[in-house]
Amino acid sequence: MAGLSIENVTKRFGETEVLKGVSLDIADGEFVSLVGPSGCGKSTLLRIIAGLETQGAGSVRIGGTPVEDQRAADRNLSMVFQSYALYPHLTVGENIAVPLRMRRLNGVQRLPLVGGLMPGTRAVAREIGQHVADAATMLEIGHLLDRKPGQLSGGQRQRVALGRALVRDPAAFLLDEPLSNLDAKLRVQTRAEIAQLHRRLAATFVYVTHDQVEAMTMSDRIAVMMGGRILQCAPPDVVYEDPDRIEVAEFIGSPKINILPLEILPDGRLSLQDRALDLAVVEGARGVASLGLRPEALRLKSGDSPLRGRVVHSENLGSEMFVQIDVADLQERITLRATPEQRGALALGTPVALDFDLHKALIFDADGARIRRLRHLNAAASEVA
Amino acid sequence: MAVIDVSMTDAPRETTVARATQERRAAWALTAPALILMVIVLLAPVIIAGLLSFTNYSLGNSGFDWVGADNYEKLFTRSTYEKMFIATLTYVVTVVPLSVGLGLGAALLINTLGRFREIYKTIYFLPVMATLLAMAIAWEFMLHPSIGMINRTLEATCGTPFEVVPFIANGCADRFPLWLGDKRYAIWVICFIGIWQGFGFNMVLYLAGLTSVHRELYHAAEMDGAKSAWDRFRLVTWPALGPTTVFVVTISCIRAFQVFDTIEAFWPQGGGPNKSTYVMMFAIFEKGIQQNLIGIGSAITMLFLAFVMFLTLIQRWLVERKVHYK
Ligand SMILES: Nc1ncnc2c1ncn2[C@@H]1O[C@H](COP(=O)(O)OP(=O)(O)OP(=O)(O)O)[C@@H](O)[C@H]1O
Ligand SMILES: [Mg+2]
Repeated sequence: MAGLSIENVTKRFGETEVLKGVSLDIADGEFVSLVGPSGCGKSTLLRIIAGLETQGAGSVRIGGTPVEDQRAADRNLSMVFQSYALYPHLTVGENIAVPLRMRRLNGVQRLPLVGGLMPGTRAVAREIGQHVADAATMLEIGHLLDRKPGQLSGGQRQRVALGRALVRDPAAFLLDEPLSNLDAKLRVQTRAEIAQLHRRLAATFVYVTHDQVEAMTMSDRIAVMMGGRILQCAPPDVVYEDPDRIEVAEFIGSPKINILPLEILPDGRLSLQDRALDLAVVEGARGVASLGLRPEALRLKSGDSPLRGRVVHSENLGSEMFVQIDVADLQERITLRATPEQRGALALGTPVALDFDLHKALIFDADGARIRRLRHLNAAASEVA
Repeated sequence: MAVIDVSMTDAPRETTVARATQERRAAWALTAPALILMVIVLLAPVIIAGLLSFTNYSLGNSGFDWVGADNYEKLFTRSTYEKMFIATLTYVVTVVPLSVGLGLGAALLINTLGRFREIYKTIYFLPVMATLLAMAIAWEFMLHPSIGMINRTLEATCGTPFEVVPFIANGCADRFPLWLGDKRYAIWVICFIGIWQGFGFNMVLYLAGLTSVHRELYHAAEMDGAKSAWDRFRLVTWPALGPTTVFVVTISCIRAFQVFDTIEAFWPQGGGPNKSTYVMMFAIFEKGIQQNLIGIGSAITMLFLAFVMFLTLIQRWLVERKVHYK
């Protein structure tokens, strides 16, 4: 077990710069998820950590030691590939056993027939068999051990790939979207198993995923990657409630955060839809800005409000309800979270007025960076740090 | 509408049956031309050859006698045919493994090249494209005992430290081999030319096979701790080349059984010194065409077909059972 430290890593493929200086410190035993849109360089970063790809600049350390001069096989990491990468000619059991056989048996012992006669081979082989059986039981693929990968479904292959990674005891696990092909039930179950495994082994995990729920539920920290950079790396609740940049706020959270155009008046006060709010910036540029409001920060209001519109769509999920409201002058609809009891007031076409809690408002400047220093003008003027 | 009425009211059952018969007839009519062609072009010659192998027929004769298995008996008793089997098997057993191995080796090496790939590929493929007959003439010049390039080169090494090699020492003391005229060397020269000519073809097949190896598998092997090139070859490359190998070996075997041009070019009469290069194809040619002994020629042909059929069946079996990983 060891921590990972990535410093200013860059990578370019020909003309395209895929990683533009990525830094990330992962503590020993930590579970970090890498999330980001497709093509942002998550797999590339993972492969650089693994040693399958060389970085343009920057350094990677595993457990404090720089690994630039170590080949992938010597870095003692285990990886699940996005494309599974199972050996097609080996059975499931043999596939899972490969990492153990490669590391615990020498070249002669691995030979067919002759290897079995070498001293010690049998004992090691029995031990390997036990590990394989354990991994297979955990992933519920015990009944598939004698099949070839070509005879498995996508989800089963993914579990075999996972088994091949989990059968060892490496310095860290690198998982590239290991659950993307499982059905919903199995995904929830395997998610719980990986989380449990993480607790049990106290191993370092780097986990690439598209699925926010996975990232939010499993990780100690989430690293949000976009355009070859890590925009923010923080615990799930911080990334959700206190994003550093507008891209992070937009990427994390489902349904998506509402972004409304805002203007910063010359005296620093914020103005939404030509109405001054009781909120002002302390410093910085004036002019255009954005206001981010999570669906749960909004509430229905009777009477006057800068946000007025009509209900155009609603989704009742049983425990909660998401209502889309078309506000005049706004290009995008606003999503509001309501309770199903409020159904009556939210029939399609109903005009509604919305209000929100200023303390939950996220303000971003024209470049998308978060403005954290704000002054509340109403009542006791307080500053939100 | 009318059709529906008829089938619904009158006799739906009979109509269906009639239609099925009609469809079956149409199907036969449509496949007949292909079937007939196949029988005439492919099967009939084999069957005729099979029948002729039990006769003493000669082209031009008005009749023939059935001789039973006489022709086959000759094949397995006469010493000429024993030499034929020895020459053929020596050739196949030498040329197939070496040309397949060299083809694989060259493909693996070329596959690691970046820039000069295409040049190497073309160079190794040149002998495949050249006619073997023309090449045989070039080889004949080079192998000429006194004025040939090979013996001249060997003679030049006399008096140099190369003489520690017994072969060269003997050559300098006495004379260098006659090559094509020496029954100890003739078949090996033929084998060498066969390998030289054939491995480029195997290489190209292997290069095509190598493009289908999933790149990520090498990465997985690396992560799994396969450090040496040999480990990676065993774990990823060789299994992935399984189907290609079966195909390459079969093709090489059939080509090796069919060797003819070099022998015909070097020894138009007789199949080499002391019949040491009297391979099956040449025997068929000599008996069936030169000496007009159609019966015995047909018998050798049938044997040849049996070998090839056997190889093809093994290939099919291997492909289906072993190497497709399904
Ligand atoms: N070998 C390569 N050669 C050229 N470009 C590459 C190569 N590998 C990746 N890229 C490019 O690098 C970028 C990042 O790829 P990467 O696979 O890291 O994305 P990702 O974040 O894992 O995406 P996804 O979520 O779809 O898996 C992509 O634009 C891709 O086209
Ligand atoms: Mg990826």
